[in-house]
Amino acid sequence: MAGYILWFYKGSFQEETAGETYDRYYMMIMQEDQSGFWQSVYQGAYERALQENVYVDWLGKDSFRDYGVEEQMEIAIASGVDGIIVTAGETEEMTAWINRADAADIPVVTLYGDNTQSARCSFVGVGSYNLGREYGRQALKIMRERRIGTQERPAKVTLLVNPFANSLDQNILYSGIQETIEQERGDTAVELSQQSVDDTNAFSVEESVRDLFMGEDIPDILICLNELNTTCAYQAVVDYNKVGTVSILGHYVSDTILNAIDRNVIYATVNIDTAQMGAFCIDALQEYHDLGYTSQYFTADINLITRDNVEEYLRGEESENDE
Amino acid sequence: MMSKFRHFSLQFKISSIYIVTNILVVMVNIFLIIGINSMSGRLDTVYQDNRHLNQFSDAVNALQSSMTDYLNVKTSDSLENYYRSEALCRNMAAELNEEVTRQSFDRMERNIRHMTERYLEEVAQTIEAKRGRNVEKYRAHYENATRMYGYIGTYISNLNMEQFRSNSERYSELQQRFRFFEAVSVIAIVLVMFSNVCIIISFVGALIRPLRRLAGQADEVAKGNFEIELLPVESQDEVGVVTGAFNSMVVSIGRYIERIRESMEAERALKERELLMEGHLKDARLKYLQAQINPHFLFNTLNAGAQLAMMEGADRTYDYIQKVAQFYRYNMKKSEETVTVAEEVEMVDSYIYILNVRFAGDIHYEKHIDESLLQMEMPGMILQPIVENCVNHGIREMGDKGVILLSLYEKDGRVCISVKDNGVGMSRETIDKVMSGTYREEDMAAGGNGVGMDNVISRMRLFTGNENVMNVKSEGEGMGTEVCIYL
Repeated sequence: MAGYILWFYKGSFQEETAGETYDRYYMMIMQEDQSGFWQSVYQGAYERALQENVYVDWLGKDSFRDYGVEEQMEIAIASGVDGIIVTAGETEEMTAWINRADAADIPVVTLYGDNTQSARCSFVGVGSYNLGREYGRQALKIMRERRIGTQERPAKVTLLVNPFANSLDQNILYSGIQETIEQERGDTAVELSQQSVDDTNAFSVEESVRDLFMGEDIPDILICLNELNTTCAYQAVVDYNKVGTVSILGHYVSDTILNAIDRNVIYATVNIDTAQMGAFCIDALQEYHDLGYTSQYFTADINLITRDNVEEYLRGEESENDE
Repeated sequence: MMSKFRHFSLQFKISSIYIVTNILVVMVNIFLIIGINSMSGRLDTVYQDNRHLNQFSDAVNALQSSMTDYLNVKTSDSLENYYRSEALCRNMAAELNEEVTRQSFDRMERNIRHMTERYLEEVAQTIEAKRGRNVEKYRAHYENATRMYGYIGTYISNLNMEQFRSNSERYSELQQRFRFFEAVSVIAIVLVMFSNVCIIISFVGALIRPLRRLAGQADEVAKGNFEIELLPVESQDEVGVVTGAFNSMVVSIGRYIERIRESMEAERALKERELLMEGHLKDARLKYLQAQINPHFLFNTLNAGAQLAMMEGADRTYDYIQKVAQFYRYNMKKSEETVTVAEEVEMVDSYIYILNVRFAGDIHYEKHIDESLLQMEMPGMILQPIVENCVNHGIREMGDKGVILLSLYEKDGRVCISVKDNGVGMSRETIDKVMSGTYREEDMAAGGNGVGMDNVISRMRLFTGNENVMNVKSEGEGMGTEVCIYL
């Protein structure tokens, strides 16, 4: 009886107690959709943060989903956090907010998209130029395999760009592609173009990608720069029966994308080490707090997944799912 | 503890059983009431967080509206409202959590707290600028404050929703726990009841057991068995006292009975000694008489007489004395031995001869003997007493008309020796008395050789192992008597 009473009070007591407290509190602000890519980045940051006895919240995940990056910046600053990780862009407004955070002694790390004019302490991203070169090389490989790109009919390579994302990064990436193709194309005739994808509202990306296939000028090679674009392009190729005539170079790794590579619909995808990317953000902020300075740039590793090595990724995904 | 408990009185023991069991019940009830109270208290507080948050939200709303009001009309009332709301808001914000924990509520609360502080600053600056009539400045601050107010609102409603969801889960969990508690309570009450019953049964059993044993022993004593084992006195209560008293009562009754038995024993021994003394006296008297008629002496004397008669040539005298001597010798030797029928008949012959000499041949003696039966065995000194009785009681007064007939024959598979006289006969009563052994001859010592009919009957019965050994028949007064002996 006494044991039961003890159990009862113990149970109720435990319920009231809070968990451990953390030394620092960071906020992550990501404009992008909540795809697996960004969840993976957040997970990487979260796990590294816990190691450092820091807690990192993804502000837009639940509470402020419908708020813009700038508004979320204001909320984060007003919340008096110890650090902000933000997918910035080269806008003046963003620069102002980053500077305001800096004025409030809150260090800001830009993620994936930089804001070079601001007082951000560090930038964590992928080397956009290198990424562009990789895309270029893969595009040429496709052309050679498919034997397209004659002088009469040059190979059409289209890069899907998001007009409201960090335009500078996309420009660097584009020039990476351009330079590689110029240098390595040989006799192959290539027609490189950019196509804006409307991502201003919720479902516009999908419509935008499909519009591309409705038109006359269907590209031979389609380069996508995020997971959503890749998935939409893949579905459109299947739906419009363009498998084999339109090759996709994708971005990020998801079950759908891996399966598509396995089925030869997507030619290759670029996988960014997202966990590393997230961890770099925390490292940068911690270093800044501890030393007062940190590296200006952190570059996450990238690797290419093609039909040759997709098996091991598929196996990896399966074993993760089993767990 | 238990041994101490034994020394208490019965009243104390019984009372303590009641008290202990009641205390158990009361304790369980108290625990249950505490549990129920705490549970219902917690059920009440489940949504307390939401209520606090709503109050806080109200305070922020009040502050925002009082600020707007002041900006609109700038009355002292609105300013007063502002100050009141601001203080309330500040106090409530100060109560919010500051720590960063794994709990999302805590972090949200912390963010709300910081944002509220920023908001309060903006509001204060707005009011300040309004008072300074700096229109541009207060507008800018007002916009900042309003944006902040919106964020706080969003945060609060998000937190509220999350808390509500979690509290609802907690509420249903608490409800489940309540149900579980209810079940446990029922089990606890049943268990306590059961254990109380067990306690009472075992305690009452322990109290009653010595009483039952005592009753058993008392029953034994009532049946007369004083050899019982004394009961151990286990407790110092009333039962123990009664047991002790019973034990000493049994012991003293036993001793008393023993004393009575001893005194009775002594009395009996005394009586036995008296009887023995009497016997010895008789024995002495008998010895004396026997000494006087010492058969050896008599026999030797008679032999001497016979030799004298032979020397003097008196043959009849010699014969007579010889027969008397023979008679006495037989008497002396055969009184307790088994003899043959022939020896007994010869004895009767000698006796009749002696009598006829004594009474000058008055008795007519006849024999009808089946020679083949003469070697049958029978106890000695049987026929002579019977014949003696016939002579003494039957034909003594008849002079020379008296006849005695001795017959030996076999009838119905039994050997029968019949002694018949033609004397005075016997009445029925006398015959019955003789047969039952109650007949006593007054002059037994004077005439006969001391062997009575009862003696004859009992010896015959012992010899044959049969009750029917003798039959006395008489037709009536003067019709003679016949005594038949069956071997």
